[in-house]
Amino acid sequence: MNKFIALSLALVLSAGLLTGCGGSTAPGSSGGDGGVTPPSSPASPAGSDTLNLYTWQGMFPQEVLDGFTAETGIKLNYANFDTDENMLARLEAAKGGDYDVVIADDYIIQVVIERGLAQKLDKAKLTGWGNINPVFQGQFYDPADEYTVPYGSGVQTIVYNPAAVEKEITGYADLWDESLRDNVAVIGNYRVINGMALKVMGESYNTEDTAVIQAAGQKLLELAPNIRLIKNDNLQDDLLSGEVGAAVMYTSQVTLAMLQNPELKVVYPTEGVGFGIMGTFIPSNAPHPDAAHAFIDYLLRPEVAAKCFEYMGYYCTNKAADGLINEAYRAFLTLPEGITGGEMVQTVSAAAEEAHNRVWTEFKSACGAA
Amino acid sequence: MNPKKRTRDLPAWLMSAPLYLFTLLFVLGPLVYMVVLSFLQRAEVWGVTGQLTLQNYRNILTPVYLRTFGESFRLALTSTGLIVLIGYPFGYFMARLRGRWKRRVMLALMIPFWTSSLIRLYGWIVVLRSGGTLDKLLMALGLAQKPLRLLYTYPAVVVGMVYALVPFMILAVYSSVEKLDWSLVEAARDLGASAPQAFFTVTLKLTLPGLLSGVILTFIPSMGLFFIADILGGNKVVLVGSLIQDQLTQARNWPFAAALSVVLMVLTSLMIWFYRRVTHVKDLEGIL
Repeated sequence: MNKFIALSLALVLSAGLLTGCGGSTAPGSSGGDGGVTPPSSPASPAGSDTLNLYTWQGMFPQEVLDGFTAETGIKLNYANFDTDENMLARLEAAKGGDYDVVIADDYIIQVVIERGLAQKLDKAKLTGWGNINPVFQGQFYDPADEYTVPYGSGVQTIVYNPAAVEKEITGYADLWDESLRDNVAVIGNYRVINGMALKVMGESYNTEDTAVIQAAGQKLLELAPNIRLIKNDNLQDDLLSGEVGAAVMYTSQVTLAMLQNPELKVVYPTEGVGFGIMGTFIPSNAPHPDAAHAFIDYLLRPEVAAKCFEYMGYYCTNKAADGLINEAYRAFLTLPEGITGGEMVQTVSAAAEEAHNRVWTEFKSACGAA
Repeated sequence: MNPKKRTRDLPAWLMSAPLYLFTLLFVLGPLVYMVVLSFLQRAEVWGVTGQLTLQNYRNILTPVYLRTFGESFRLALTSTGLIVLIGYPFGYFMARLRGRWKRRVMLALMIPFWTSSLIRLYGWIVVLRSGGTLDKLLMALGLAQKPLRLLYTYPAVVVGMVYALVPFMILAVYSSVEKLDWSLVEAARDLGASAPQAFFTVTLKLTLPGLLSGVILTFIPSMGLFFIADILGGNKVVLVGSLIQDQLTQARNWPFAAALSVVLMVLTSLMIWFYRRVTHVKDLEGIL
C-alpha cells in the first residue's frame, strides 16, 4: 500500500513539474516566440500551382488565404513553426528550399540573410511596393530593403488606466514616479525592460558598453519598488482587472486590452519608440518564386493588408492601409503622424548579453525585496 | 509450449535489458549531455562552441546568481516548516480515524490531483487577486476596508508552495503513524508518562522516519517548483529554477543553464546523503 501511495505521488509530482515548463510569449514582439502548433511538413509536389507558406500559426484570416487561391488558382500550404529558431534550423536543413514565403522576426531574418538563405526580391513584380510605411524600412536586418517586406510590427508602448494612475504618463521616465508604487506591470523581456532604463539615460538599446548596461541596472533598481508584476502571458488581464494601473506590454496584449477597455491610454514614450518587425522573405531556393512574389504583392494591397492587421492585432506596416483600418482599432494599430521611427532591439555581443542578464536577475530580485 | 515456461527460459539479463536500456537512454543520456554542455562555451549569436571552459561555473559564483540559490533555499525552508506544522497533525489524526472516514479523507486528499496543478494555481489567483474571493470575504466581514494586494507577494508564493506540497507530507506521516505499535504508547502511559511526554518520547520518535521522508519529499521539490513563484509571485522571487528557464528561453545561454542544473542536482543529492547520515534511514518510507 505504501509503495503504491509513494509511486502514485511520485507520478503526480513529476506531472506537476512538467506542466510548469509551458511559458511562451507573443509572436512578433522582439525576441518572442509564438503559436503552439508543431511545424507540419511542407509536403507539396513541385509545380507553379502551389505555394508553401511558412510562419507562425494564426497570421492570416482565412478569407485572405482563400481570396488568393480563388484569384490565382494557386493552392496554399500553410506550415507552422513555433519559434524563430526552429524556422532557421529547418530552413538550413532544407538549404533554403522547401518553402516559398516565410514570415519571421527581424533578428532571425538578419541571420537568415547573413547565411545566404534568402533571395533578393524582384521589385518589378511587386506593384504594391510603394504602399509600405517607410518607418518600417531600411532597418538593421535588411538596410537596403533588398530581401524583405514588413508584415506587421510590435511597437513598444506604455498602457495605463487614467482612473488608477494619478500622474499623466508620457514616457518611460514617468514609470519611476513615486505615485506609481507597486502599481506597474512589465513583460519579462529583459532587452525591452533593461532598454527602458537605457532609453531614460539617453543610451541605445544595443549598446555594447557593459559599464553603461550596469549603470542602467542601477537605474532599474530604483524602479523596482514600483513593479508589482513581471510576466509574459496575458499581462493585459492584470491591467484590466485593476491589479496594476500601468503596464509595458506586447502589442498583441495592448490590442486585447484596448478592445476590452477603450478608456485605457496608449503612450508612445517621449524617449523614443522602439519596435520589432515581422518580415516576409523568399528563401534562396524557393521552389515557386513566381507564386511567392504574387502572394507578397497580394498582401501589399491596402484592403488585404488592413484585414490582416486587424486580424493579427499588430501595427500596420502598410501606409496605404492605415486609413482602411477599422476606426475602433486605428488608435492602437497604426502609428500616429509624427512618429518617425525609433531604434530596434538587435542581437548584441555575448559580453553585453551577459551584463544584461545579470542586470535583469538583480532587477527581478529587487522587485521581490521591495 | 506454455508461455510461463518460455519466460522462465529467458536469461535474467535479457529480462532486465529494457529497464537498463531505458535508464541509459533517458536518464544517463540526458545527464551526460547536460554535464558536457555545462563545460562548453556559448556562441556569439546562438548555439555553443566546442571550446571547453569553466566560465559557466565561475559565473554562478557572482553574487547575483549565488543569491538565487539562497532565495530558493529560504523559500524551501519556509514552506517545508509550514508544511510540517500543518501536515504532521493532519497525517497523525487521519491515521487515527476509523476505517470508513479514513478512506473518505484519503479520497478528499487525492481528488485535487485529478486537476492539473497549473489550473489549481490559477484557482489561487482567482482567490487572491485584488477584488477576488478572499478580498470580498474579508470586506464583507468588515476585516478589510479596501482590496488587499495579496497576489504577487511573497506570502502568496508560500501559500502556493504549501498547498502544492502538503499532501506529500500528510501521506508520509500517515503511513508511518499507521504502522505505529500503539501498545508502546500505552506502555509509556502505564509507566507514568503524561500524554505529551508519551507523544514526544515514543510517538514522535517512532514516526520520525515518516516525518523526515515527508521533509525530503517537500523540501527537494520546493527547490524546483519555480513556476509557483512565477505565477503567484509575479516573477519577483527569483529561484534557481526561474534562472535556468530564463537562460534557456530568453538568454539562449544553454551552457550556463546546464551548469546551474548540475549544481542544483549536486546540492539536492548532498541533502539526501546528509539526511541518510543523520537519520540512519535506508528506506524513505518506500520512496527512495
